[in-house]
Amino acid sequence: MQNDAGNRSGASPVLRITGLVKEFGNRTVINGVDLDVMPGEVVVIIGPSGTGKSTMLRCVNGLEDINGGTIAFEGELVRAKSREIVNLRRRIGMIFQNFNLYPHLTALQNVMLAPMKVLKQPRKKVEEQSRELFRKVRLEHRCDAYPNQLSGGEQQRVAIARTLAMEPHLMLFDEPTSALDPETVGDVLRVMEDLASEGRTMLVVTHEIGFARHVGSRMIFMDGGKIIEDRPPKDMIADPANPRTKQFLSSILQH
Amino acid sequence: MITSVLDFWPVFLRGVGTTLWISWLGLILGGLLGALVGVAADSRFSVLRAFATIYTELFRSIPPLILFFGCFYGISFAFKVDLSPFTSATIALALEASAFMAGVVSAGIASVGRGQWEAAQASGMKFLQIMRYVIAPQALRVMLPPTVGVYIGTLKDSSLASVIGFVELTKSGLLVRESSGASFQAFLVVGVLYFVINYSISLGGAALERKFHIAK
Repeated sequence: MQNDAGNRSGASPVLRITGLVKEFGNRTVINGVDLDVMPGEVVVIIGPSGTGKSTMLRCVNGLEDINGGTIAFEGELVRAKSREIVNLRRRIGMIFQNFNLYPHLTALQNVMLAPMKVLKQPRKKVEEQSRELFRKVRLEHRCDAYPNQLSGGEQQRVAIARTLAMEPHLMLFDEPTSALDPETVGDVLRVMEDLASEGRTMLVVTHEIGFARHVGSRMIFMDGGKIIEDRPPKDMIADPANPRTKQFLSSILQH
Repeated sequence: MITSVLDFWPVFLRGVGTTLWISWLGLILGGLLGALVGVAADSRFSVLRAFATIYTELFRSIPPLILFFGCFYGISFAFKVDLSPFTSATIALALEASAFMAGVVSAGIASVGRGQWEAAQASGMKFLQIMRYVIAPQALRVMLPPTVGVYIGTLKDSSLASVIGFVELTKSGLLVRESSGASFQAFLVVGVLYFVINYSISLGGAALERKFHIAK
């Protein structure tokens, strides 16, 4: 499957976040974040839990409303309560920590649902494409299984295929391997690496420093609702500029 | 003596048919009405939630007998229309069933995790598409057992339609009793028939449950 997001628009960012503020009640979880994501970039976001990383991803596709600043996706404002949000979401894929596959549908039906119902594509075409996606995530033998018959790693790869079926221009990964058994993490990361090498634009919240180092084009360290550091992963891992970054990295690299 | 009562089998048979038909109608109409109220109960709009609470509590509190009288005499009086016993009884059963079905629908929707909504939303689906393709199929499985209970309740309450002159199974029994003079036998037959009907519904419900069972 060809991905044209990478070379479609040379200069303008896929995603532009400016001055983002997000509050839950009187608690400010995101406090003034600016971030541009260019086509083909793989931006890895790390940081202690509760610092707004996942919340930021959820703001990008309007699962959460924002309290300040703007989010623009391909030049269009993301507003959680607007009618157009439905159309923007078609072009933004999201992978959840807990997969969230539909338990009443087979793996194949999970992947086929949105293209058929949202994009109104004919079943035959969707099924061909979906089977192709199962080969891509190396699960062609598991098409007819139900989610509860799949391992966590397999479920997450089906979830990735389900997202790819909509041919998204931006993919959001919300701690995609955090809920997995260690032995299945590698399979999921390998698929994500394939996607990165195709030039897909990805925003990845993760603690997988190895993945960040090998695959990420940029690494962002968030703490206290702000971006503390934004640099190439290798540089940040080798020589963190901020003491908080240094402390966080050493704490997760210890094990 | 029982044989003389059994001679009236066509009356009983018609009674069984009518009881099945009117309670089924009450369940279907009540289910549709209840689904709307149940969705309102899970809405993010507080006005809709308040309406759902009031509606449910109201029709759950009124005894079914009062609903039957209310629909038969009350509606005719208030709106100057002449409602047949059948129509009045159907409305009364539907109103009562709807209050219970609203609770069933609301609980069924709530049983589907938030992650399912979010995954469906993230893929660009609209509210009704999410309901139809993602939430409803999962909620219906949860709703099936309590719905069987509501159906049995509705069917039993349909016997009250006899008081407004609608000839269903109970009224059929009363008629047979008058003609034959055999009170005990007439009610025995009616009781056995109710049992057979409701036990069959229970068995049918259990069979459906097994068929649609999914492990999560």
